[in-house]
Amino acid sequence: MALPKRIIKETERLVAEPVPGIQAVPHEDNLRYFDVSIHGPTQSPYEGGVFKLELFLPEDYPMTPPKIRFLTKIYHPNIDRLGRICLDVLKANWSPALQIRTILLSIQALLGAPNPDDPLANDVAQRWKEDEPGAIATAREWTQTYATS
Amino acid sequence: MEDNPHPPKRRRFFAQSSPSPPPEESDPVLLSTPQREIHSYAPIEEPSSDAPIFADPDEDVEPNAVSDGHIEEDEDAIDIQALGIRLDAVIFESFVGEKLPVDVLKQLDDVSGGDLQRAINMYLDGSWREVKESASKISRNQSPFTSLFGQNGKRKTPTDPGLGPSAPTPSSDEETAQRLDKMPAERYIGSFGAEGWATRSGRDLLKHGEEVFIERQQPQQTQKMVRRGKGKAVAVVPQPTSKRKDIVVRFSNSKGDEIGRLQHETAQFVSTLLDQKICVFKAVCVYAPDVLRTNETIYLQLNCYMLRQTFNPRAIRMVDSNRSTGLFEAKETEEEKALRLRQTSLVKLFNEIKLYPTSAGQDSKAKREGLLQVAEMAEEKEKEDAARGGSTPIKDEEEQQEGKELEQDQLDQLYKKAQTFDFNSPEAEPADTFAMDLRKYQKQALHWMLNKERDKKNEGQDESMHPLWEEYTWPVKDENDRELPIVENQEKFYVNPYSGELSLKFPVQEQNCLGGILADEMGLGKTIEMLSLVHSNRIEPEISADSGSKPLSLPRLPKNSDVVEPAPYTTLVVAPMSLLSQWASEAEAASKPGSLKTMIYYGADKSLDLRAQCSVANAHNAPNVIITSYGVVLSEFTQIANSANGSRGSSGGLFSVQFFRIILDEAHNIKNRQSKTAKACYELDAIHRWVLTGTPIVNRLEDLFSLVRFLRVEPWSNFAFWRTFITVPFESKDFLRALDVVQTVLEPLVMRRTKDMKQPDGTPLVFLPPKTIILEEIELSKAERAVYDFIYMYVKRSFAENMEAGSVMKSYTTIFAQILRLRQSCCHPTLVRKKEIVADEVEAEAAEADAKGLTDNMDLQALIDKFTSQENDKGEVNNYNAHVLQQIKEEAENECPICSNEPIEEMTVTACFHMACKKCLLSLIEYAKNKNEQARCFSCREPIHEKELYEVVKHEKENIPAAFQADASAEPEFSLRRIAAGKSSAKIDALITNLKRLRRENPGMKSVVFSQFTSFISLIEPALARERIQYVRFDGAMSQQQRSAVLGKFKTHVGGIVLLISLKAGGVGLNLTEAKRVFMMDPWWSFAVESQAIDRIHRMGQTEEVVVHRFIVKGSVEERMVHKIQERKKFIASSLGMMSAEEKRAQRIEDIKDLLS
Repeated sequence: MALPKRIIKETERLVAEPVPGIQAVPHEDNLRYFDVSIHGPTQSPYEGGVFKLELFLPEDYPMTPPKIRFLTKIYHPNIDRLGRICLDVLKANWSPALQIRTILLSIQALLGAPNPDDPLANDVAQRWKEDEPGAIATAREWTQTYATS
Repeated sequence: MEDNPHPPKRRRFFAQSSPSPPPEESDPVLLSTPQREIHSYAPIEEPSSDAPIFADPDEDVEPNAVSDGHIEEDEDAIDIQALGIRLDAVIFESFVGEKLPVDVLKQLDDVSGGDLQRAINMYLDGSWREVKESASKISRNQSPFTSLFGQNGKRKTPTDPGLGPSAPTPSSDEETAQRLDKMPAERYIGSFGAEGWATRSGRDLLKHGEEVFIERQQPQQTQKMVRRGKGKAVAVVPQPTSKRKDIVVRFSNSKGDEIGRLQHETAQFVSTLLDQKICVFKAVCVYAPDVLRTNETIYLQLNCYMLRQTFNPRAIRMVDSNRSTGLFEAKETEEEKALRLRQTSLVKLFNEIKLYPTSAGQDSKAKREGLLQVAEMAEEKEKEDAARGGSTPIKDEEEQQEGKELEQDQLDQLYKKAQTFDFNSPEAEPADTFAMDLRKYQKQALHWMLNKERDKKNEGQDESMHPLWEEYTWPVKDENDRELPIVENQEKFYVNPYSGELSLKFPVQEQNCLGGILADEMGLGKTIEMLSLVHSNRIEPEISADSGSKPLSLPRLPKNSDVVEPAPYTTLVVAPMSLLSQWASEAEAASKPGSLKTMIYYGADKSLDLRAQCSVANAHNAPNVIITSYGVVLSEFTQIANSANGSRGSSGGLFSVQFFRIILDEAHNIKNRQSKTAKACYELDAIHRWVLTGTPIVNRLEDLFSLVRFLRVEPWSNFAFWRTFITVPFESKDFLRALDVVQTVLEPLVMRRTKDMKQPDGTPLVFLPPKTIILEEIELSKAERAVYDFIYMYVKRSFAENMEAGSVMKSYTTIFAQILRLRQSCCHPTLVRKKEIVADEVEAEAAEADAKGLTDNMDLQALIDKFTSQENDKGEVNNYNAHVLQQIKEEAENECPICSNEPIEEMTVTACFHMACKKCLLSLIEYAKNKNEQARCFSCREPIHEKELYEVVKHEKENIPAAFQADASAEPEFSLRRIAAGKSSAKIDALITNLKRLRRENPGMKSVVFSQFTSFISLIEPALARERIQYVRFDGAMSQQQRSAVLGKFKTHVGGIVLLISLKAGGVGLNLTEAKRVFMMDPWWSFAVESQAIDRIHRMGQTEEVVVHRFIVKGSVEERMVHKIQERKKFIASSLGMMSAEEKRAQRIEDIKDLLS
């Protein structure tokens, strides 16, 4: 099936006007599949880390949100061990007016502002609530271990 | 042999009347001759009339006209047909009725070669004396069987060196008679070996070299005289249903004792040849056992002699104009059957005696095989029919009547031959009153047409043999390799293997039709070619008559109202109503001012008396061209037919004059020969008759017949003839032969060129800009799909039930009606749904909207005003709204946030004033609906509803000249319109989308929208009106004036305009080259019909590329129609579809199955 005009335009723009700290490159054999890397926001436990994600645009896109998953291990209350992300705009609050670019920015923002009240990784959220400095330390540690090369 | 009495009699007749030889029947003036003949020799023919094809119908009429000689025979033989041969002096004397001296008997015996029958006849007609005289000049062999050739002695050949078969003067009745006269009563044609079996046993019954007499036992004569209507007694061949035809042929030895019968295969054709008096057989025993036992085989040599009578052309015309009442009989008549038998027998005989044509149209051997095959098939069919009995006769008849449909490929083949157009054929320049330039091929057409019109019968061009005939050479040696006496100037004879006709005269291909069929493909300018002919071949009124004798030039009423007045200056054009004005305007455009007087004869305009108008006396004011419609012809015809006296003249209408020329445009209107319109057209009188049609054959060969009938092309204009040579062979699957014959009919009559023909230099005949066809798949909306699925399931179920009950063919029409509904539901659900419900829904929605303070059509300016005035109350939000609207107004080229299209297609605004493409918004709502969620605005996540979407409608003012657009008020006006209110079908939406895109990208381009359903067109109209798209409508319900007004508006309108047109009304004839875009709203069963419609636009005169959009609903019967049925029709076309009726039915069911799969 031919690639919708919208996907082509988005891809072109991602290449032409990249967002600082975010990279999204489509696979050559599947233009709906993107390799994404996000730099951890400054003044966050993830600073200095480069996190790899995979992004897939389903058939119904943009009626349905893209599917995104962290490939790099990350210690975050809204991201589980499999890399799945708990983010409203990726679920109920998705709108077809949102784009790859905006979603990736949202994820970057999520790294900067973890929300333990709407957890996906329950153990991480629990610890974040009970011992936030410890949790942040672990997050830093993980970033050092997994997200820096 | 029983026919022996005949030839000598006839010969005598000729001898007596040779100063004034009997005229040929074809000469209409002398049609009364049969009456005369009856008194001279019909009595003898009468008993032999078990061969109806020979018998002139008139001869059968008067059984009372029996001469003395006949009565004698009658008494003796008891049966009128019993001309049995009894080789016995006693019998001879009892026949003759007097005792004869022995020497006379001896002489007679010599002369007749021992054939009693002949002896009797010769004695009776006195010819034996004559023979004796001439025979004595020829040395004769004493051998018993060579004495047979005593006949040859009679070939006294009057020398007439001026005449020869190779250079005959056609249509000379005298010559024919002379020729016939010269021919001996019997002439040797060949011999063959045959087997027979003994029916008795005995010793020395037959020995080698003994003469054997071949005779026919008379079938049950008593049943064979059948009374027919009009009191005609006609002898008929026994009904096939009653019993198998008796074909027994017995033979007897010289003593007259019956020895045996001929073998079945031989007897089959020999019997017919004997019965129909085509030839006589004289046989010699080749081998017979000394002691003969019953059933033993006897070998014979059969020498065959053609009878002179066979060559009498009078006897062959089996169908006469006075038979016209029976013309339309679908079934094979007895005459036709006899003819078929004759034809087959002749072919078989020629095969046996190894006589091959010296000259024939084509591979005669294959042809013969074909002929035999056809005959067999006919027989089989007959048997089948008989076996089937009375259960299905009606159906069968119907089918026969209908004629089989032609497959596309067969048509292609036909045309292929017909359109072998010689690009180097001569051209003719049109008269200088003709104002247009003709292309080369058009000049060639003009030359051809002029030739056809001027082609008088005896224009000494080289004569070609009639294509149905074959030329044979008489054998010069007999069976024993002895020289046969030569008949001077008669080396050859001619046989028509299709009819069984024989002739001594060179059969010339007659060409007395002073007109023809101009079948150029659409768009090649048939009208122009015809108009050039009107200009170039016309009779100029004599100037002297005008200036000199003034009284003559005054129009006056003819004295006798029953007489058809000549109208020598007038050409009548009969065309479909929709084309009348087009003809008139083209005639005007093609003529220098004042050179052609044109008159539309239609409606109120036809109060004139054409007799006075067009008469010779009114030469200078007579219209040169009268244009009328088929409807007018029909109504005047019925008027005359219903009037008390039925006289043509009284009405003063079309039938009261003989035109110089008649042109039937779109002549496939008369393709059904039984339709009243066709019959009415046949009755129109003219010297030159032309038909114009792009499709001389629409789907059956009979279509062509009707044209030929109108053109009065003899002999093909006779349906019986046509049926025998074309329909029957075609139905019995001998396609090649039938089509071959059709080609020979077509060839001299038809000129046909196609658009894709290439000139010798490789350039196409006509240059046309390219044409692109785009198949657009339409996705039905959910609601539409529901309607469609409902009907689909219903139709499918009903079809399945019918399949199970085996009543598919019976309820075929019902099923088709249901499929029609299904197809309509693809176009628009309301075409199927009840109108009231829809109206109710609309009302309910409107009420809801009113409550919210929004009307269906809000003026944008008003909206903006409304919101700016509320600014204070609602602050920023409304400001934004106003901004959005302002933005729209400024036509900011925004990108659709959903599909990223730029600009937004069919800008649509939500209730929260967010803008996107219409289809994106709709699919967003649809998507949420499918997930049972509330659709929310893509931007502000406000709940959105389909009913609260507003489309931005731009009102372009195309009619305003650019100069005035400078001032401020010229900016396009906008308004918002609720989408739900204008909710139409997916197809209409697609059309609108396309039209809007067209308006945006090619402003001012005109387009044509075709649909089969006028009710659908009625639904498209409001949609176009809403979008402020200019349109006009053209359909079959419109009057002539309305039609021309509509076409006029479409042509003269400045700027873009859409022509909505029904496929049926506008599929043919119209010239719509102003348009560059075509939209086919619904598919037809065969693409040819659609293609023809498209050619209204893509035809000569088109200057730009034509883009055609075909709308097909995805996953529907339409898709299957296009991909399966239309495709298959193409496929079948390429495999020479030879299908029987059953296969056809199966095919139809297959069609439906395909649709419902």
